[in-house]
Amino acid sequence: MKTTTKYIFIAILSMLAISCDSSYLDVNTDPNNPLTVSPDLILPVAQRYTDYSRNYGRKTNTLGNLLMQNWSQADGYSWYQSEFEYVVNTTFYSGIWNYQYQSALKQYHALDVNDANYEYYQAIAKIMKSYHYQILVDTYGDIPYFEALNRGGNPTPKFDDALEVYEDLIIVLDQAIALISTGTTNLNVIKPGADDTMFSGDMMSWKKLANTIKLRILVRQSDISGRESYLTTEFNKIKSEGSGFITEDVLTNPGYAQQADQQNPFWDSYGQDTNSEYINDYYATCATPFVLATLDGLGDSRIDYIYEEPETGHLGVDQGLSAYPQPTGTLGEANVSNIGEGLLKSATQSSVVFALAEAELLQAEAAFKSYLNDAQGHFNSGIAASFSYLGAPGANAYTSSGKNLADYAASTNKLEAIITQKWIALNGIDAIQSWFDYNRTGYPSNLPVSLSAPTEDRPVRLMYPAKEISGNSANVPAQPDVFTDKIFWAQ
Amino acid sequence: MKKRKIIMTLFVALMLQITFAQEKTVSGIVSDGSGALPGVSIVIQGTSRGVETDFDGKYAIKANSGDILVFRYLGYKTTNTPVGTSNTINVTLEEGGEVLDEIVVTAFGIKREKKEISYVVEKVSTDKLLAVQPQSAASALAGKVAGLQINVQNNGVNPSTQILLRGMRSISQSNSALIVIDGSIASQGAFDQLNPNDIENISVLKGATAAALYGSRAGNGALIVNTKKGDLGEKITVGINTSYTIEEVSFMPDMQESYGTGWQGAYDPYENTNWGPAFDGLTRRIGPIFSDGSYQAIPYAPIKDNLKDFYDTGSSSQNTVYLSGSDEKNRFYLSLGQLDNTGIVPSDSYKRNTFRVNASRKMGDVKLSVNTSYTTDRTDIVGNTIGEQERPLYWHVLNTAANIPLSTYKDWRNDLYSSPDGYFNAYYENPYWAIDTNRDMDRSKRLNGNIALNWEVNSWLNLTGRLGVNNLSRQGKNYRAAQPYSVENHLMTAGRPNPVTSFVEDYESQSTQYTTDFLAEGKFNINDKFTLKAILGATNFTSQFRESEYKANNLSIPGFYDLSNTTGQLQGGLSGGAFVNERQKKTYGIFGDVTVGYDDILYLNVSGRNDWTSTLDENNNSYFYPSVGLSFSFADLLEFDDLNYGKFTVSNSIVYNDVGPYAINETYSQQVGFPYSSTGLNGFVIAGTAVDASVGKEKIATLEFGLGLGLFNNRVTLDASYYTSTTTDLITTATTAPSAGSSAILTNIGSIEGDSYELSLGLTPFKALNNGDFNWNLNTNFTTIKQTVTEIQEGVDEIRIGGTAEAGVYAVVGEAFPQIKATSYERDPQGRVVIDAATGNPKVGGLKSLGQTTPKYIVGLTNAFSYKGFTLTTTMDYRTGHVYYSQLADRMEFTGRSQESVSANRQDFIFPNSVTNTGTADNPVYVANNNIQTTGGGQNFWTNTFNDIKENYVKDATSLKIREVSLRYELPDKYINNIGLSKVTLGLIARNLAVWLPKENRFSDPEFNNPLREDIDINAIGIGGYNQSPPTRSFGLNVNLEF
Repeated sequence: MKTTTKYIFIAILSMLAISCDSSYLDVNTDPNNPLTVSPDLILPVAQRYTDYSRNYGRKTNTLGNLLMQNWSQADGYSWYQSEFEYVVNTTFYSGIWNYQYQSALKQYHALDVNDANYEYYQAIAKIMKSYHYQILVDTYGDIPYFEALNRGGNPTPKFDDALEVYEDLIIVLDQAIALISTGTTNLNVIKPGADDTMFSGDMMSWKKLANTIKLRILVRQSDISGRESYLTTEFNKIKSEGSGFITEDVLTNPGYAQQADQQNPFWDSYGQDTNSEYINDYYATCATPFVLATLDGLGDSRIDYIYEEPETGHLGVDQGLSAYPQPTGTLGEANVSNIGEGLLKSATQSSVVFALAEAELLQAEAAFKSYLNDAQGHFNSGIAASFSYLGAPGANAYTSSGKNLADYAASTNKLEAIITQKWIALNGIDAIQSWFDYNRTGYPSNLPVSLSAPTEDRPVRLMYPAKEISGNSANVPAQPDVFTDKIFWAQ
Repeated sequence: MKKRKIIMTLFVALMLQITFAQEKTVSGIVSDGSGALPGVSIVIQGTSRGVETDFDGKYAIKANSGDILVFRYLGYKTTNTPVGTSNTINVTLEEGGEVLDEIVVTAFGIKREKKEISYVVEKVSTDKLLAVQPQSAASALAGKVAGLQINVQNNGVNPSTQILLRGMRSISQSNSALIVIDGSIASQGAFDQLNPNDIENISVLKGATAAALYGSRAGNGALIVNTKKGDLGEKITVGINTSYTIEEVSFMPDMQESYGTGWQGAYDPYENTNWGPAFDGLTRRIGPIFSDGSYQAIPYAPIKDNLKDFYDTGSSSQNTVYLSGSDEKNRFYLSLGQLDNTGIVPSDSYKRNTFRVNASRKMGDVKLSVNTSYTTDRTDIVGNTIGEQERPLYWHVLNTAANIPLSTYKDWRNDLYSSPDGYFNAYYENPYWAIDTNRDMDRSKRLNGNIALNWEVNSWLNLTGRLGVNNLSRQGKNYRAAQPYSVENHLMTAGRPNPVTSFVEDYESQSTQYTTDFLAEGKFNINDKFTLKAILGATNFTSQFRESEYKANNLSIPGFYDLSNTTGQLQGGLSGGAFVNERQKKTYGIFGDVTVGYDDILYLNVSGRNDWTSTLDENNNSYFYPSVGLSFSFADLLEFDDLNYGKFTVSNSIVYNDVGPYAINETYSQQVGFPYSSTGLNGFVIAGTAVDASVGKEKIATLEFGLGLGLFNNRVTLDASYYTSTTTDLITTATTAPSAGSSAILTNIGSIEGDSYELSLGLTPFKALNNGDFNWNLNTNFTTIKQTVTEIQEGVDEIRIGGTAEAGVYAVVGEAFPQIKATSYERDPQGRVVIDAATGNPKVGGLKSLGQTTPKYIVGLTNAFSYKGFTLTTTMDYRTGHVYYSQLADRMEFTGRSQESVSANRQDFIFPNSVTNTGTADNPVYVANNNIQTTGGGQNFWTNTFNDIKENYVKDATSLKIREVSLRYELPDKYINNIGLSKVTLGLIARNLAVWLPKENRFSDPEFNNPLREDIDINAIGIGGYNQSPPTRSFGLNVNLEF
């Protein structure tokens, strides 16, 4: 017995001894998730985030549509109360900040590295980062930029002046264009292919997009007094660079399908579910009387594509009604104009990252202010692009109809015509841009305010969100007055 | 030469002869005044060699003349008798006995006398645990031990509990006490699945010092569970324990019953919300008009208990058959247990079978013991992703107005008004339909046990080796049937809820943990006054886990829930993409413990342990935990007759926590939605959580003072302790600013400090002198716990660990941890509510700290009265000083069920105690408001402004609960011995018989909590509401027979 016991003890001791070998503890490599990943697996995710940051739920597109009187709420739903009451607080649409920083920018930043042969991916990353940073500046003003996105390296980045950010965005876009040129001469450059869901690796198109984003940044500053010389210099640089601006809608589509988590985000948020049933958001969302009257007054055939026409004819609902008219259902979903088939095409539809209509109308405004040429040509092209995207007929007749705001020559206030057409063209696509334009120009004119608004006019920016405040309280500036403190380009 | 050798040999032989001749077998009988005493421990003083008396009080031990035999038995005075020339020593023990001689089992199964230990240990015995036949032992510990907080977090058929000792010291790591079963580290899952009838006792090691030898997680204290090992004596006992209880809802939330189905003040026959006109008793249509023109009509009046009647009366039956016995060399205990539980939610059930074998055998100086249990269980409950909004069942029940006769809608397959197309509610489905079409089923099998070898090498050295295993395999299937609707034939309808898609989700996991321990214990008597006990040990712990989950959507064949039935891609359950996860962690450590005793009065204990872990970087993965303690028994010195014992202790320790497996890796994971099959694109996203390169362990330093007193023959016992703990370098997943490109960072920042008082008082106001006399024992314990966050990070004052941005659980510098912060009223310096002059509505202010979510004070009281065979025991506990956020109350505001929403009869009103600011934001001038009324008092005020101020839903979580009541009668021997029975006990038992809550909190049990997920929100206690069923009480019978 004693011998057996001795052997048992030796066995236990040796078990412990063996386990004390140095590689015994080497079991901490995660078998479930990889440590490094190639860029073609990162880029499509980043581009999905770009799409979702605009179209998935309460993000930039929805905010713009509600503030700019594109959308209202049908009877029987309590969907947009905070938007109608302009309850702008630290959680109101905080997704615009949080999602762009924590998802889109974070993912693009992973591609923005100086590794060998990375020129193309780095260029794409810089271009898309500029795209997102501009939206953040336009919504919030001063934002973290130079110190941002360093994760563990700098968990509390400082805030940078909005104008400085804008100027750096131009520099970065120039760097991106230069990188693409360098990459073309590098035989070993890693080329994006199908993983680039926007351009499939066509780097010339990327250069055009870079120029178009520069165009947007510059035009937005065109009302700042004293900025003319800077803008002239920059426009000249674009002209001499030579690639020009985009000539088609910039679309993205990773392969959207009618599956959970794979539907086009706009379709998934405002159209149908994976069983082809219309969802509550579709029924709750409808047109306003103002937008319908505007489109109708212009004889704009896009009205039937932007909005769905019920049997009883187009009908809009005022924003902010305290009580819906009786009998119940007068302004119910069956009777009002919900979102139309020009915007809600299918579960597999591509999303617009940058609309050709917007690019053309930006050129129209730049030409109007003499930085470029042929304002009327760009105006007509922009409208045609919008008609084409929606599938509406009669663009040419429309732009030669002689109506104020539809026909460039017949419009008394050219700028108002350009901005108003941009508002129509971006309805449901990227409406936040038309909110930025409204803050800057005041067009479209006579834009109504929600009936339950506590103030005379809608907000001009958003508050810094709660998550940023609780994570970075030392650096977040004092909250601005969201109704009166305009962003620097709208002073 | 040769001659001397021979003489030497003879001399040695003679010496040996004498030595062997001196050692002899001493035997005898030990008894007390009334008879033989089985189970008395006899030890040769100064050694660890000993035996126990058998059923007849007989013993036999090998000893030398001159050795002193120490006879020890609980409740009697320890007696020392020297071995003389006689081989027979009979001893009679006197009653009395020092409590401090009591043997306490401490870490690693090390046995110590109570006077030797320098920290607090409390023991709960089997009859206290089984008083009301609980389903699992954790819930039976509530209110019984000072410093121990048990939170029963839900009350489904398999409730989950949280075991917290002395508050929460860590923000992101687990605060749950370590569980040790029969000497080997096990998990709380193993503890919850133990048949409580198998438990002999539970020792609660409260502080870090007590558990320092266990290493990591020792900071949370430990529950040492000992299962039954076999009754002493040669007799074999066979027993049956049966209990049957029924369970019913104790109360439903307090909701308004004056207004019913409707919207914006108008009656609506399809609504889940209660914004209709005041109840007037008129019969009205409810639901759609069908194609033949018919419709259901009911009186527009409240139906009493319409929601409570949805719930069934649940029942639970527990049966255990056990066999135990022992002889000189062997002890064994076998049991078979069966539990069958049906819940208050119709069709919910939980079944569990346990099988335990504990056996030990002595072979000379070696004892081999095996303790194992095998448990299988099956849970079948309603799923919690009901409807297109994926809600839990209680949500659907709550979204039913007071005028709806909910319990008449059971037969949804046949009855038109209950059917999916005919149910009145256009927004939420019939809960009875939900029960039949959404199921969540789980099965698990667990093997938990250990094998141990103990060898008494010689009189002063004892070696132990132990190998423990805890193996759990689980399978789950979760499914939902599709439900399309068709209303084309309805003459009038408001539509149907969004159609539901079907899915089936299959889950499988295996979790295995091995621990091996090796200890060498030595006992030495240095001289008359000094004793030395030393322990050297090594231990190793390996944990492996693997799980896989697949989800298939849009099934083709209804009712066939298998992955092959999908029409789309397979989808992962948790994060998209079918997943397989594996995790592995290993640690090993060595430890040493030295106790020096002086004159049986003063003991000094020093211990240390060094751990190496696999989860931290190689340069940083070793850590050392020291602890030191002093214990002083002063009763003998004081010569105060009535003071039986007095003990004062002080101890200090440092322990560490390390991180979970792979936590230090910043990895990529597949993005939800990828891959897109038409393009073949796959995509990965970087972790949202960044990792600080230097992340390491968090440190917990504890200082504890204790005082134990026994007075008046132990009719009064007092155990008091005061301790402070400081946790530094907290491992925290701090939320970073989103602009840093991450959602969080894993780093060591900040510190928490806490202190606490514990008092445990035992009184025997009436002591039975003879069997059958009236005896009354009571034990009350009082605990205060306060943990405050002293520092987080430069520039960061708070981090949110759970909940939402509007009502969340936070760690806030300078405030108690955990703290609830929620959006609140804007107030003037006098505390009056500031309203907006234009609307009359209160302004929504920023987040405000509203209170801690663990109780500041806990008082437990247990009474045991016995008289002539009857025993009545009660346990109650009172907790106060904390708050919780009732999600139920918050969401019910939107549906118009709150009492507040009818407080002004759905009219605009002047907000009480309000002021307007007639000055500017910088120079405010507050004027009392006597005339401006709110806007939207009919509905919008409540659903928007009032509901945005989450302060309205943070309620006082004070509760007084009578948790256990049991009345038992033990039949006298004379009636039962004839039939061959040795013991018959009958009992009436009740659990959660009564609950008293403050008036403002009439929604649910404040202990209920949303499920806490490891690595996400594990310490975010204090948020609960509609994920748990209503609180219940249960009562029934218990019968125990022994042969």
